[in-house]
Amino acid sequence: MQTVVQTLTWHDTWYLAPEIVLAAFTIVLAILDLALPKRIGRNIIGWGALLGLIAAGVFVGWHIHDLSTWEEAGKEPFRNLLDGSYRVDDFGNLLKLVFLGATALIVLASLGTTRTDEIPIKGEFYYLVLPAVLGAMVMASSGDLITLFIGMELLGITSYVLVAARKSAGISGEAAFKYVVTGGTASAFVLYGMSFLYGMTGSTRLSGIGDAIGNAVAESPAMVYVAFFLLIVGFALKLALAPFHAWAPDVYQGAPTPVTSFLGVVAKGAAFAMLYRIFVNTALYAYADNTQLRDDLYLALKVLAAAAMLVGVAGALRQQNAKRLLALSGVANAGILLIPLALDVTNFHASLFSEFIYYLLAYVLMNAGAFAVVAVVARGAKSEELSGFAGLYHRAPWTAAAMTVLVCSLAGLPVTGGFFGKLFILFGTVQTKEYWLAAVLLASTVISYYVYFSFIRQMYLRGGESELPVTVPVPTGLVIWICAAATVAMGFLPKPILEWVDGLFSLTTDFFSR
Amino acid sequence: MDIVFSQVAWLAPLFPLTAFAVLTAMGRGLGKAGAIVATAASLLSFVLALLIAAERLGDSAEDYTGRIEWLRAGGVVLHAGYEVTNLTALMLVIVTLVALLVNVYSLSYMKDDERISVFFAYVALFTASMLGLVLADNLLTLYVCWELVGVCSFLLIGFWFRKPEARAAAKKAFVVTRIGDLGLLIAILLLYWNMPNHALDYTSLYNVFHSQSEALSDSLTTLIALLIFLGAVGKSGQFPLHVWLPDAMEGPTPISALIHAATMVAAGVYLVARTFDVFEASPNALTVVALVGAFTAIFAAAIGLAQNDIKRVLAYSTVSQLGYMMLALGSGAAAAAMFHLFTHAFFKALLFLAAGSVIHAVHTQDIREMGGLGRRMKLTAWTFGIGALALSGVPPLSGFWSKDAVLAAALEKSPWLFAVAVVTALFTALYMARLFFLVFTGSSRGEAVVYVHAKESPAAMTVPLVILAVLTVAAGFVWTPWNEWLPGWLAGSGAGEEEAGAGGWNGVVVAASVAASLLGLLLGWLVYGRKGAAVSAAAAKAPGLVRILERKFYIDELYDIAFVRPLAVLGRALHVFDEVVVDGAVRLVGRSVQAAGKLNTRLLSGQLQTYGLAALAGAVILIVAIAGRRFW
Repeated sequence: MQTVVQTLTWHDTWYLAPEIVLAAFTIVLAILDLALPKRIGRNIIGWGALLGLIAAGVFVGWHIHDLSTWEEAGKEPFRNLLDGSYRVDDFGNLLKLVFLGATALIVLASLGTTRTDEIPIKGEFYYLVLPAVLGAMVMASSGDLITLFIGMELLGITSYVLVAARKSAGISGEAAFKYVVTGGTASAFVLYGMSFLYGMTGSTRLSGIGDAIGNAVAESPAMVYVAFFLLIVGFALKLALAPFHAWAPDVYQGAPTPVTSFLGVVAKGAAFAMLYRIFVNTALYAYADNTQLRDDLYLALKVLAAAAMLVGVAGALRQQNAKRLLALSGVANAGILLIPLALDVTNFHASLFSEFIYYLLAYVLMNAGAFAVVAVVARGAKSEELSGFAGLYHRAPWTAAAMTVLVCSLAGLPVTGGFFGKLFILFGTVQTKEYWLAAVLLASTVISYYVYFSFIRQMYLRGGESELPVTVPVPTGLVIWICAAATVAMGFLPKPILEWVDGLFSLTTDFFSR
Repeated sequence: MDIVFSQVAWLAPLFPLTAFAVLTAMGRGLGKAGAIVATAASLLSFVLALLIAAERLGDSAEDYTGRIEWLRAGGVVLHAGYEVTNLTALMLVIVTLVALLVNVYSLSYMKDDERISVFFAYVALFTASMLGLVLADNLLTLYVCWELVGVCSFLLIGFWFRKPEARAAAKKAFVVTRIGDLGLLIAILLLYWNMPNHALDYTSLYNVFHSQSEALSDSLTTLIALLIFLGAVGKSGQFPLHVWLPDAMEGPTPISALIHAATMVAAGVYLVARTFDVFEASPNALTVVALVGAFTAIFAAAIGLAQNDIKRVLAYSTVSQLGYMMLALGSGAAAAAMFHLFTHAFFKALLFLAAGSVIHAVHTQDIREMGGLGRRMKLTAWTFGIGALALSGVPPLSGFWSKDAVLAAALEKSPWLFAVAVVTALFTALYMARLFFLVFTGSSRGEAVVYVHAKESPAAMTVPLVILAVLTVAAGFVWTPWNEWLPGWLAGSGAGEEEAGAGGWNGVVVAASVAASLLGLLLGWLVYGRKGAAVSAAAAKAPGLVRILERKFYIDELYDIAFVRPLAVLGRALHVFDEVVVDGAVRLVGRSVQAAGKLNTRLLSGQLQTYGLAALAGAVILIVAIAGRRFW
């Protein structure tokens, strides 16, 4: 057992640069928000937050570049900090880029749509996004249960505040309260599972748990089962997988639209990062004499993925509220995102991460874009109901066209990023001979056409009852078009992205915390 | 010899295809101008066909083949190409000439139809497809064009779609010919699987089937030949798939002349002639072809005796004459068959166009309501008479020469077939005499008003008649006892020194043929031509027989009972199955998804306690179901 904890050296700060930048920006912006007189609009804080996100992203990019030069030089392309409790590797870096990019898009979009009368705490609203992303980044980079949990709570607590930002709307407070209770429940499950894991293996370090898990299974399999299933339930709550998804529509509906977008994209991605870290590092080694435990765990993940896909789309069928609909679509998409991990990695399925990251990227784009459109439309129609989209094609044809692209991507129609994302995941299921899962994926996709086409139906086939013109603020329009264009680009050029991820990423060096 | 024009033979179908594209793109706005465009395109094709034929008149014109790679799927390459041989050159001339004349004729005949540009667009598409069919250098390209002409035929039969009979006839033609098309498709697939290198071009077919190579077994060869023949039976209206052709007369008369007399229905004969190498490798298949042809010939001629619709008589005559061609093919005389196709195209187109001229004048197709029209429509009567004599086989008109070639071939095959063919010739002369006398001589039996107003058709309609009449007289001289140019030329460079089929001329054949036609004509005059002869004289003497003939041997009724009704019952049963089981399943899935959605909505009540309960229940179920089973 490790008794001396490796201390953080001055040299290590370079590897923590993105996180440090975010923390620094948070503090500076918080002070600025306090110091600036009221008459100065708080949008400047938003632009500052955007700058901080971009700066952090630059550092992450720099690290990716560094790691790849190490690899060429024959050095192992990762860096352990604090004795392995914090890792800088390609897995973490890629996810950090996705988180930072998604958050930057969301902040940019909200710069155009956030109204002071709705969100009185605009300054806090912007700078609190930064610690939330910081939490997500810590989750993506952790090699230790405790760091993971800290990251999760950092993300969680700031999110609770963000959800409640629409202080004047009762629905926002209700959403925040529900999110607090659910998030607390999830944390409790996760923490309980972690404590069992620590009790069985004597380590909180993922590598340590991986080493000791074989013996633990041999000694007391029931305890290990309990530990892992508690973790799975906790994460399922966080990810809003069915039947743990009930909170999602309420919270998504109540939260300000940019925060909804953030919850759907970054919070989910971070939970996935954590799930990947824990499962690949521990469960994979969990077979002592037989593969029973491991098979059971992966089966549980597959069942959850299937349930989420089906319940998500079935629930979305009857939704009339755009944000609730997208929340349930998020449930289904979480199921899809879970599939690559749930497939047995030993069964010649080494491409799980590139499948995951490709669909995550596509999902980030279509979700951020769709929520931006929802925000714009809701601002005009004064309602977040689907009917607000009625006749959008006649009122704002370009926005309707962009939304069509995004919705097609959500539905998984070619030629979009969503199509290839689903296709790659489908290939994975077929490759590992999980045909039933492939069938569920296809069935849910078919049902989802109906769901997503309710947008198209409204936009093109319904006359606009409200003749209100839709004004698209420049930053939001920019985001909508970035998302739509990137979605189409991912549909036309799936190969380069996939190959780039595949080239960066290798299972052995990037996952296993040896 | 230089073969410049053969190299650009692909232009021939391209002209009408372009016309079709232009007419379709411009829509009805083009009106009359569209008709001119289509006619001009067919004129260009005809000129090109003439040039191609002219440059091939020499003795040793090389066959010219041009092809492009069409599809590549894995290691499989499909080609599309064209091949110009003497046979295709002959067909090109026939098709383009008839198409041109029909175009000119239709300018007048269809001028009052509001969909005239649509009509000409269809005709142009048909011409293009037919030329493509003729030029194709392999069976796949042929099949594509084969189906295209089928579609055009369907569209044109049903051109007056407001008439329920036209709709029904179009549907019938389409469905019945599909049976034959399916046979052809299976034959092509069998060839594709069994031919070396999956070759489907005629050159490879020639090489494989002519060299007695063992690539394909005898039984397989027979099967393929019979399936190809099934395709020909469908298209060429041979028994038992002949039923669609008479009904197809619901289409405009120029169409009957172009498609259902001169060109498309001859495609079946052409197909067999083109793939004759396959048939020659299988004597059994040849015998089947000969038997079906002979039976169809006499069977349709007998029906023709008792029909009262001018176009239907001609339609059954077409079926019968196509039977002759098949008989010649089955007797091994491809050249005789092509010769008869060649002459028949002219005189049958002539007869149809003349019939159209009559219909145009009196607005009825029932010959019982006509009579005495010869006095009012001299040119039509004369040209129709020439066509009728040619069809009856009176020397020295073209029909005589080609029919003799067919009869000679039949005699070589079997005396029985020859006897059947001679009786058919008698029937043919008889029904043509009946038709001519009832329509053009005697006194009018229709309404006096109509008769008084009946007048000769305009020049656009009569000029094609005259041209065709001249050709009907002249076309036979390409193959006479003293001039055996055609068979040698048709055999061409491909077959070289080989005998072209159809032995020398036989006095017995000539005597029997001439005697049969003259006897037929005489009988016809006695019954229908003399003053005071009753229209229904035959019906009075042998009512039962005439009744059977009038009802066309009850074939349609038989098919109705044997196929249509059982299939309709089966269809209804399947429909019920579809409604209840398939749709039911679909509805069930839809409902259950909706129900799941409803359940989900109920779960999302907004009560956080409910959410917690659901989560807990989910966790327990998950753990018990998956982890629990290991510990029980």
